[in-house]
Amino acid sequence: MVQPVLEWQAGRVTAIRPETRQTKSFTFALPKWMAHRPGQHYDVRLTAPDGYQTQRSYSIASPPERLREIELTVERIPDGEVSPYLHDVLMQGDELEVRGPIGGYFVWDVRLGGPLLLVGGGSGVVPLMAMLRHRAAQHSTVPTRMLYSSRSAEDVIYHDELNGMAAANDGFEAFYTFTRQPPAGWTGYRRRIDAAMLAEVIKPFDKRARVYVCGPTLLVEAVANALVEMELPIEQIRTERFGPTGV
Amino acid sequence: MAGLISRGFLGRRRPAEVENRLPPGQYLVTDFPVLSAGPTPHTPLERWSFTVEGLVGSPVTWSWEEFQKLPTQTYTVDISCVTKWTKLDTRWLGVSIDTLLKAVQVDPAGRYVMAYSDGGYTTNLPLEEMVNGQAFVAYQFDDKPLDPVHGGPARLVVPHLYFWKSAKWIRGLRFMERNQPGFWESLGYHIHGDPWKEERYSGD
Amino acid sequence: MDRDEPDMNTALMVDGNAVAGQLEQIFGRDMTMTIARCAGCARDAQLGALMAFIRGPGVVLRCPACQNAIARIVETPSAIYLEARGAAYLRMAPQG
Ligand SMILES: Cc1cc2nc3c(=O)[nH]c(=O)nc-3n(C[C@H](O)[C@H](O)[C@H](O)COP(=O)(O)OP(=O)(O)OC[C@H]3O[C@@H](n4cnc5c(N)ncnc54)[C@H](O)[C@@H]3O)c2cc1C
Ligand SMILES: [Zn+2]
Repeated sequence: MVQPVLEWQAGRVTAIRPETRQTKSFTFALPKWMAHRPGQHYDVRLTAPDGYQTQRSYSIASPPERLREIELTVERIPDGEVSPYLHDVLMQGDELEVRGPIGGYFVWDVRLGGPLLLVGGGSGVVPLMAMLRHRAAQHSTVPTRMLYSSRSAEDVIYHDELNGMAAANDGFEAFYTFTRQPPAGWTGYRRRIDAAMLAEVIKPFDKRARVYVCGPTLLVEAVANALVEMELPIEQIRTERFGPTGV
Repeated sequence: MAGLISRGFLGRRRPAEVENRLPPGQYLVTDFPVLSAGPTPHTPLERWSFTVEGLVGSPVTWSWEEFQKLPTQTYTVDISCVTKWTKLDTRWLGVSIDTLLKAVQVDPAGRYVMAYSDGGYTTNLPLEEMVNGQAFVAYQFDDKPLDPVHGGPARLVVPHLYFWKSAKWIRGLRFMERNQPGFWESLGYHIHGDPWKEERYSGD
Repeated sequence: MDRDEPDMNTALMVDGNAVAGQLEQIFGRDMTMTIARCAGCARDAQLGALMAFIRGPGVVLRCPACQNAIARIVETPSAIYLEARGAAYLRMAPQG
């Protein structure tokens, strides 16, 4: 089987939807759409009139079951170069150069099975959401837990959809931790993800868990180190460091 | 590499007021971007040393304490990174290469220098572009100890060349007879690297 | 200064998977599951799992075990350079 060559294509923005105060989801219609594997990303390239170019990677939020278009969810980094452009300038109808889907390392699909532990911080939930959306679309009942760290309840991306998924009683459970401002009356976690928290959430899966960790680099570092110290086999841990995005 | 112009994307700026101070193809920044090629080494000062070796009479090594006693100078210089940013009026405190060379006898054949750093980084320079006040080993930036992310405890600064020549975490200079390429020069980057001549890539 | 405190240089690090696009453009296939044996410490790691430093003149991929530079990529206007002398070998599934 010959793989199609990876090339830049102009994606047309067909919808922009705010998710939280800091994040928006962008739908792109792609002339050369290809089914992706949940967890993969696209590269986005911007070109200025003087020829200056810059590019960044964005995980695909939508599941492969959604055809001919992809959705990216982007957090606005105030002093960043690309994310403020996407938030403040890009409009429906605009074209943006993208290439993808890429990356065979940080992927999960139902064939890989579980039990599955998804650990995310901030916008790190995006590729994990593609996995969950795919899992739901496939009516999979793979035991799955997600541990998701946000600053506050308002910063939880896809909150309603995640609640809906958890209510489906199909083997998916979500655990939240709030690092700045937990909601009133919150009895759950209210600190950065640490070894004790991971041990609690991973407990029923023990060392069999397949773990996907994604988010700001410093968070992923901390979680990956804790997992290794818990003697989880390293082959079962996949990481996707986003770089210096919000913690 | 041509691409579809992104509507409303202005890229980076070359403000008119400072246009004449920006080498071709460079843009102005006011923050201090970190150039990363590897993890930050954290060599304790007790184990830090600076060595001048290679084609010299006999190699000289300074401990951190000894290095601190060398005469220093303050420098206010513009720096240009090959990744296209230029930062104006950066303020450093450091030891001139001229000062260091007073302590060694350089073999006349040693016309080139390889600067080497903790973490394995290297970069090559012609000796004649390091002397007469053109280069220094800095250990303070903006009146504060140089932050490890920017090369502390000490880095080379050669302001008239692209900033990859200003090796972070520097530990020594090795004199050589021939100009051998360092870490980036051996992989497509220009052997010399003058921003005003836009010497970015080899074969330019 | 003995400890590895988190700093911006660390925060800028990503996984080899983040360079998947560039690698695929060079090799014509996904390379993130390709195994690299480190020439420094002889341990194996998938390219997707290497430490990737992408905010510099080029990309540097390092061994997660010993930090040895396994591969470097530089794109100039006229060429792409890929150096991999820090890898003893790459091992990948045959294509087809
Ligand atoms: C594989 C992958 C997938 C990703 N997926 C997503 C996603 O789904 N959603 C999402 O929101 N993000 C994602 N990211 C992060 C994304 O690629 C960008 O890094 C992010 O959007 C920030 O880009 P920016 O241009 O807005 O900010 P940048 O200009 O890159 O700046 C980000 C921050 O870092 C600082 N900074 C940047 N460079 C330097 C430097 N050299 N020295 C010092 N400080 C610096 C800036 O000041 C700023 O605070 C992903 C990253 C990777 C690698
Ligand atoms: Zn190694």
